[in-house]
Amino acid sequence: MNAVEIRNLSKNYSKKKAVCGLNMTVPMGAIYGFIGENGSGKSTTEKIICGLIPKNGGRILLYGRDYKNHAVRAKVGVLIESPGCFPSLSVWDNLMLEAENLSIKDPKREVMRVLRLVRMEGAAGNKYKNCSLGMKQRVGIAMALLGDPTLLVLDEPLNGLDADGMRIMREVFCDIVKDGTRSIIVSSHLLGELQKVATHYGIIRHGKMIAEMTADELDANCRNFVSIKAERMDVAEALLARRYSRVERDEADYIRVYDALSAEAVVIYLYENGIPVTEVKTQKINLEEYYIDLMKEGRD
Amino acid sequence: METTVKFKKQSFKQRFHSMLAVDLKRMRKSKTFYILIAVALLIPIVMNVMLTMMDGTVMVDAQTGAETIMKGPESAWQMIGAFPGEKPTDPQAAAMGGMDVMSMCNINMMFMLVSVFICLFISDDFRSGFAKNLFTVREHKGDYVLSKTIVGFICGSLMLIFFFLGSMISGAMCGLSFALVGVNMVNIVMCMLSKLLLMLVFIPIFVLVSVSAKQKAWLSICGSLGAGMLLFMMVSMITPLESTIINVFLCLAGGIMFSWGLGAISKLVLKKTALV
Repeated sequence: MNAVEIRNLSKNYSKKKAVCGLNMTVPMGAIYGFIGENGSGKSTTEKIICGLIPKNGGRILLYGRDYKNHAVRAKVGVLIESPGCFPSLSVWDNLMLEAENLSIKDPKREVMRVLRLVRMEGAAGNKYKNCSLGMKQRVGIAMALLGDPTLLVLDEPLNGLDADGMRIMREVFCDIVKDGTRSIIVSSHLLGELQKVATHYGIIRHGKMIAEMTADELDANCRNFVSIKAERMDVAEALLARRYSRVERDEADYIRVYDALSAEAVVIYLYENGIPVTEVKTQKINLEEYYIDLMKEGRD
Repeated sequence: METTVKFKKQSFKQRFHSMLAVDLKRMRKSKTFYILIAVALLIPIVMNVMLTMMDGTVMVDAQTGAETIMKGPESAWQMIGAFPGEKPTDPQAAAMGGMDVMSMCNINMMFMLVSVFICLFISDDFRSGFAKNLFTVREHKGDYVLSKTIVGFICGSLMLIFFFLGSMISGAMCGLSFALVGVNMVNIVMCMLSKLLLMLVFIPIFVLVSVSAKQKAWLSICGSLGAGMLLFMMVSMITPLESTIINVFLCLAGGIMFSWGLGAISKLVLKKTALV
């Protein structure tokens, strides 16, 4: 059984198609990195899953039941766009309100637990409107974690967090899915951070899922490339471009050769052509580069 | 072996209890609530004191030179309603079909004023984003509508009670008569009871306008005041000072019909429209 199963989902805003024929599968125990450009339909999909906007077509199952099932939806934690907090109330009061909303038996204890998780126990008395952006984000995450939800839907949860905050969130996310039944859908543009925790990925473009894979599959898909520095870089680049189909110069002024069989082959080839190589390393493209490549392919 | 996750089904009682607890807590923390209660208490005091002080003052029209003698309130009950057969002595008010200051600024004003509370209360849910938290875990939109109607009713009832108290206190302060002409104390109790129940006719209208306008507080306030004005004239007719048990039943029936009917429409609006 999957935590989320979406088939042929569609949503139109008047004439504009925000989501069209989207399929998505989030297995139980997964941290699902939901990636896409601005306006690609990520937030719309997440809002539909949470029942915040009506869909035009398709089927959504949460833990094998219809997404409108009250019992399942009662166990969904959400942070979409902004934390749903009243500015004039304190952090504590806002969390207590949400605890009441979730019918939590011992609300004070639960609120203290989530505040400790996001390291905000010292700021519980602060008015929400006086909190910094990072603190507000932490409150939003704490709110989503209240009541031990089975499914967490988080839209850009890492925005505004400092390095320590991001590390804490990574730990919290991994802790949540540990038992294999809870799942998290995280959409974020901080792909480097997402890669550190995500177990599954879904890449959306123009409202359609263009790729869905596990972290292992992504790892296999992320090609190796040879990165070199040589004397007479321009000549070296021109030579390599004649032999290999994809050669690029990166920001650090290294020449990247994507389809070389080995680093030795590149070095020997350049040496035979009278260009000594001064530095060579084999690297793997990361999620960000893979994503950019995928988007580029789609555009072409 | 496949892992299964069990979900506990919540009864209507559990769901509604938590929704109402959230709204009552919010109401207790809301400044608007306390301001409106204070306004309800102060309006009759200010009106009675001001009009008593102006009693006998001669006003001269600058253009026509016509003189008008200002008449203050005579009875403490005037803020609640007119005695049977009572007609305004002011010729201008008589010409306007009896619409003098006292009949415009009496307890019936609270039916309009409560709309401000409901509109701000509901629009705050959407403006703050708390509606996302509420509706993500609540598929049954009826809980939300019912809870808002109850909270609005509590606020409206308290406003009516405080206005009544303000009228009595200021009546005593200004030395107004408490004598009952053509009515008895039972009629007064029935009148207040019908007014309280009549709140159930107005509140669902304001809730419907507010859930339709969502975060646009100004739109919901304008819409609610506009819709409320259509029924406002009926208030003094259906809840006169000489009200009987029939008026109470009429208001109760109207309240149930409006709450049920408009509540169903509000629920439909929430189901069919985007909640963010």
